[in-house]
Amino acid sequence: MSTAVETPEVPEQVIEAPSTVATKKNRRNQIIALGALAALGAVPIPFGDYGFFIGQYAAVYAMLGLSVTIVTGYAGLISLMPYTFAGLGAVMTGLIMTGWGWPFWLAAPMAALATLPVSLVVGMASVRLKTLYLAIATLTFSTALGETFFRWDLVTGGRIGWTVASPQLGPIDFGTDLNFYLLCLLVVLGLVWMTEGLRTSRLGRAMLAVRDNELEAQALGINVYKTKLAAFVLSGMMAGFGGAFLAVLLGNVSPGGYQSPVAEVTSILLVSLVVIGGIDRAWGAFFGAISLVVQSQVFQGARFFFPFFGMYSAFFLILFLLFRPGGLVQVSKITTELVKRRPVFGLAVVLVTVALNLGIAYIFIRAS
Amino acid sequence: MSILETKDLSITFGGISALDEVSINVEPGEIVGILGPNGAGKTTLFNVISGFLKSDQGKVILDGEEIQNLFPYERVAAGLARTFQHVKLFRNLTVYENLLVAQHRHLSSGSFAAMLRLPSWRKDEKLAKDLVEKMLDTINLRPWKDARPSELSYGTTRFLELASVLSLKPKILLLDEPASGIQQREVEALGPMLKGIRDETGCAIVLIEHDMGLLFSVSERVYALDFGRLIAEGTPDEVANDDRVLESYLGRTRRDSVA
Repeated sequence: MSTAVETPEVPEQVIEAPSTVATKKNRRNQIIALGALAALGAVPIPFGDYGFFIGQYAAVYAMLGLSVTIVTGYAGLISLMPYTFAGLGAVMTGLIMTGWGWPFWLAAPMAALATLPVSLVVGMASVRLKTLYLAIATLTFSTALGETFFRWDLVTGGRIGWTVASPQLGPIDFGTDLNFYLLCLLVVLGLVWMTEGLRTSRLGRAMLAVRDNELEAQALGINVYKTKLAAFVLSGMMAGFGGAFLAVLLGNVSPGGYQSPVAEVTSILLVSLVVIGGIDRAWGAFFGAISLVVQSQVFQGARFFFPFFGMYSAFFLILFLLFRPGGLVQVSKITTELVKRRPVFGLAVVLVTVALNLGIAYIFIRAS
Repeated sequence: MSILETKDLSITFGGISALDEVSINVEPGEIVGILGPNGAGKTTLFNVISGFLKSDQGKVILDGEEIQNLFPYERVAAGLARTFQHVKLFRNLTVYENLLVAQHRHLSSGSFAAMLRLPSWRKDEKLAKDLVEKMLDTINLRPWKDARPSELSYGTTRFLELASVLSLKPKILLLDEPASGIQQREVEALGPMLKGIRDETGCAIVLIEHDMGLLFSVSERVYALDFGRLIAEGTPDEVANDDRVLESYLGRTRRDSVA
């Protein structure tokens, strides 16, 4: 076929060379990333059980954050239901484990499946709406489920709710803080890997396309409605699965925790967590959760300053939205670039930032 | 048999008739031009054919099948592709990713296959990447493959859009002003390119164009529209010399004064 634009012919080796270099670099970067991840995973160790608890907390919130990554980050739908789906998963886990006496390993996937019919019905009713209208619709459904499903005593265990035991696997008891922390870490890394995989697939790309331009997506043969619905349902299932771990983390499930206004507020918190981390990459939920959970723990210790925590995070969120819309994922990319270009200056910036953060945390804890 | 046929398409917007019993037909492998002043209903015709607008009456027949009740994405699956007057691309995705999105209809693996990296996902990704690699060479987009649409010249985004719709492997391609806003050099290259696409893939092309040089050089047959009605049909020469076409372009008063 005759080609049109007069573009310079690019010699074969010029195309090939960078890509092979990139593969080697990629492998090296992967090793560095894995090392960094292992180091990050080891951070709670010196803090003992309290550290492991914070680690579990962050990992579970990252799981819930991933559901926002799929529905809002990938498909561009603003849903305020993730925490309600997590509650649904948590309640089902309580019912299945405590009510029926089944093991956690069956309860967790069933919790994910239990969200399917609900997310399908809610999705069918609401994904045709856009932006704020969709947000309001999901908010309404969240409140409505809080007043119906979460008042269904037979399933929710009534006012007291369910006490949830720790999972066991043969001789391994996940009741210890260390073991459950490692389990949560492993699972959340698996879910991040899965969510990243979704991004590079037929359906994941369709979601990104729909988010960017619905009209063009349709013109390229994408069923926009079905794609949005799939994102909504997958997000619901992700939240439900995370909900099973939330139930174990909290040790008991009481329906009050998933009714108005806690459910709506926590869903908004999940959205901001993912925005801080980086909304359209799976790692964003992971880093966002760490950042948010660690901060909330640090500030919780600072009794005097705690009332200002909301203001502080709001300020932080606005700064991110203004200057780093890609979140922590973007920040880490920029920093890596800086370190590569100017190692001394870059590392100094990293050190000063870390020191500043630790200093602020120390002052806050001391001042309380 | 015609590859595309419209029968008596009519649509009104608030009492104003935008299309009035428009019937056109396109043979397989034919290049057909659509001519008309602004507001003549050319883009409306494309929107109705591609399913972005529902006509009040009339039929759209693609390759013997009535498609007027299908959704746009279903019409794509039936073999119809279109571009827009104003380039619409996925601005947060790179050129390469834009083209990957365009392979959607050739792929089949599901979400869980992708999440677990199952063989069906692997096969799909390989197919998609092979198709994109080929398209990068066909439309000469390789130098920009990692750029985002905002980093491209307007002309290049036009070619990216063309590459996207060609990726759909359509039986018929509707191009809405492909030459608008691009450099003269690129406009001149567009004619041979469209003929090349037709010869290579056998797909018919219908094009709306204000650049008369391009329209008349590339089209084998031309329809002229004015106020939503077909006013002329024929070879480029016939249409260019048609009284009513001249009238709609030059205006009645001037012709009257000349007469």
